[in-house]
Amino acid sequence: MSSQTLLVALAGQPNCGKSTVFNMLTGARQHVANYPGVTVEKKVGHFRTDSRRVELVDLPGTYSLSSYSLEERVARDFILHDRPDVIVDVMDASNLKRNLYLALQLLEMEATVVLDLNMMDVAERRGISVDHAGLSKHLGVPVVPTVGKAGVGGKDLKRILDEEAEKPNKASYKIDYGTMEPFIQKMQDQVVSAMQLPETYPHRWVALKLLENDAEVLRLATEDPKSSETLTRDIEQLRKDFQEETGTPAERHIAFARHRSCAAICRDYMKLPEQKRASLSDRADKFVCNRFFGPLLLIAILFVLYEVSIVFGGWLAVKVWPVWGAVEAFAAKVLPQAGFLEDPLLRGLGVWVVKSTTAILNYLPIFFLLFALIAILEDSGYMPRMAFILDRLFRRFGLHGQSTLPLILGGVYVGGCAIPGVMATKAIPDERARLATILIVPMMNCLAKVPLYLILIGAYFPEHGGLAMFFIATVTLFMALPVAKTLSLTVLGKRESAPFIMEMPPYHLPTVTGVLRRAFERIWLFLKKIVTVVVAVAVVIFVLINFPGLSEKREASYQAQQEAVVGKFMKVVDKTSYKGELLPADVPEIVLFADRLKNAKRGLTDKSAAAAVNKSFEQANPIYYAVVKRKGADGKKLNKAFKKVVKTRKKLRREMRAERFESSFLGVLGRALEPVTKYAGFNWRINIALLSAFAAKENSAATLGSIYGIDGSGSVQESMKAGETGFTALHALALMLFMALYPPCVPTSIMVRMQSGSNKWMLFSILYQTLLGLGVAVLVFSGGKMLGLSGLQAMWGFYGLCVAATVIMALIPDRSAQKADIGKTCKQNC
Amino acid sequence: MKKLMILTLTLAALAFAATAFAHSPLCDCFDNGDGTVTCEGGFSDGSSATGVKMYVKDGAGKVLQEGAMNADSEYNFKKPEGSYSVFFDAGEGHQVTVNGSDIVE
Repeated sequence: MSSQTLLVALAGQPNCGKSTVFNMLTGARQHVANYPGVTVEKKVGHFRTDSRRVELVDLPGTYSLSSYSLEERVARDFILHDRPDVIVDVMDASNLKRNLYLALQLLEMEATVVLDLNMMDVAERRGISVDHAGLSKHLGVPVVPTVGKAGVGGKDLKRILDEEAEKPNKASYKIDYGTMEPFIQKMQDQVVSAMQLPETYPHRWVALKLLENDAEVLRLATEDPKSSETLTRDIEQLRKDFQEETGTPAERHIAFARHRSCAAICRDYMKLPEQKRASLSDRADKFVCNRFFGPLLLIAILFVLYEVSIVFGGWLAVKVWPVWGAVEAFAAKVLPQAGFLEDPLLRGLGVWVVKSTTAILNYLPIFFLLFALIAILEDSGYMPRMAFILDRLFRRFGLHGQSTLPLILGGVYVGGCAIPGVMATKAIPDERARLATILIVPMMNCLAKVPLYLILIGAYFPEHGGLAMFFIATVTLFMALPVAKTLSLTVLGKRESAPFIMEMPPYHLPTVTGVLRRAFERIWLFLKKIVTVVVAVAVVIFVLINFPGLSEKREASYQAQQEAVVGKFMKVVDKTSYKGELLPADVPEIVLFADRLKNAKRGLTDKSAAAAVNKSFEQANPIYYAVVKRKGADGKKLNKAFKKVVKTRKKLRREMRAERFESSFLGVLGRALEPVTKYAGFNWRINIALLSAFAAKENSAATLGSIYGIDGSGSVQESMKAGETGFTALHALALMLFMALYPPCVPTSIMVRMQSGSNKWMLFSILYQTLLGLGVAVLVFSGGKMLGLSGLQAMWGFYGLCVAATVIMALIPDRSAQKADIGKTCKQNC
Repeated sequence: MKKLMILTLTLAALAFAATAFAHSPLCDCFDNGDGTVTCEGGFSDGSSATGVKMYVKDGAGKVLQEGAMNADSEYNFKKPEGSYSVFFDAGEGHQVTVNGSDIVE
């Protein structure tokens, strides 16, 4: 055992307050990764005791340590292979019996265990008292009472860890399996001793696992082809003998024996309140989980969640914007100066990257509120109830009750964002439902899809705007649910769908520090993950939309236009007293001077402050200042000409940008795709807009705007209508549906990669959504055209189709044999 | 199925009430010193505000002038006498009001 760094694992059942203990011990010093090869999150933190440095690894919350679910396997493998110096088992003191079930299994693994009797406050409030000294003596391991939420007991825990490290104290507690004991002994003698086991595997435990028919341990027994056959036979024989002798299958006997031990320990060391009333939580649950009030309350809570995070958060985002604006301004200042027509590469790239980042940082207030509210829902204990209410419905589609939150965040009704949505899938305990949810969250109507909807609806469904918005807002769910079911029956069919226990923890009052800590923790993770990714992606997109660039001929033509406008300005200069003082080379300088002056005054509302800025610029260059600010008769004359220069510069730059974009790699791709996309009604211009939307959905509307070369006369809608003759409501409908199903934007794709833990799923998610989107668009466009439907008819026809698909899919039974037991064990008071 | 119905109807109700916040609207105005004011519009994600409706109102809220952001995402107007405000209207939830007294030269 190293006297330097102590490896400590934190185990515990779900809802035992494990993460509060983790935070209590480590503070904010932690980082999150995935356990190798799986999507289970691995949280690691560090802290110091009096004499050592401790590395604390948070194991997944599991009820047991079978090899049934992924989480359980991950936790078990970590204990067996990484052999932590100490395992701290966090137990909910108010649910001792259930929590002991895991504790006893840890003890059976002969690990050095410290029991953390957490949530003592809840136990006390419910009148439960635990004799922790007696418990400690009985089990032969230290027992430390704590209240993780309030930081009580952290010091004791650290001290005990130090002590345990000094005198390693292997657990020696044995559960008495009664009539099975002779079989355990035989198994050890005949089989376990013949197995090539890593030395970290305790023999009695292996014997028990073989009797339990544990798949993983069984595999170990059959690894060696020489002995595999005999061992398998021996194991089977022992299991059979036991069942014949006692009439009970071995695995059931083991589980019963464990439960009996838990109950016996509770009887001896725990006192329940005299009068066993329904606790407050039970009484509240009568309403919260009620068939009628439950959904009503759920809707009310979701509504508040939406109002606070999206509506109020949106307002807050506007208030915070000046901060990000200042970051942009600062970047613009320190990067190399802009040119008249073209900017230096470093500037173009730098500004683009900063802009891409601030565009995401802008959402920070929304995310912060969202994370804080979710933390409240989690800490209060409402989350599992929400899952319970919706589970029956979602199960029919291969999803899980806890898919609700990700879908809402993703924008189940208009207005969400897939990034936090995908991120929230982490909470789903069922591997198959989690992947299914990850794959359909991007289909929801995120905020960024809305501008395109608005443009198209405004242009092509002006009389039925409300209906069209209703259509697109709700049809997405009817497309997503059948897709989820299809996915879970096909590609996800082999994934694990562990039978899970939905358990209603008692309600807690969330603490302000707890909620804030969690919100900040997630914001910080979000920032680290997303911002770094966005920077990398922004660079790639920049290249794709700017290169190969304009031909020399086009460059020369723009150059000539620039010289022409500068020449005009110089003609005016010649008529003023500045003749000879202002040269053609000064013109770009004046433009930049004017820009700098404008930026310096951006956001200023105070007259004297503005005057001070003006003065400093006047001192810096009185001639430029006169031109820009119309000082004197010459200044007035020149200012008029100067304005024309500025306007022409903007126009030329805009045209160049559009031209560069159309001839860029992305633009070329848009044209190349036209032969395929024409069946969906998309021409190359729309293809380009859609391709640029992959970088971030917002781009689509802006790109359409720039492609249709709008001048101030009309809206994007009008110019699009004018620019695309022959474009009908059917085209618009196909485009809207494609946008709804469109592949997740780049940041979301990255998030999909992070949550699913594989590039394969990310690529799959991009690919299947593109194909699905294209398929639906072709169906609606080509199908509608063939049947001679109007846009509105096609819209409702398609809606009916989706609803029918949803109903049919709901009725198809899940083929995978073991239907998940939805065992709702409400908390047992031991 | 009944639950699905309830869910759909609720979502529908919310969809009607939903306001769309794709990004934060931005509008900065500058007094040009020649009796005109220029407002620059845009959105936090860098998209242009071209085509966005603009209104200039007097102190009582009466609309004096109206127009739209041009291709450069700018709107120029003659500065009215007395107090006024500028209203940038990109749809519900995307509106900005700039007070005339905050627009400095």
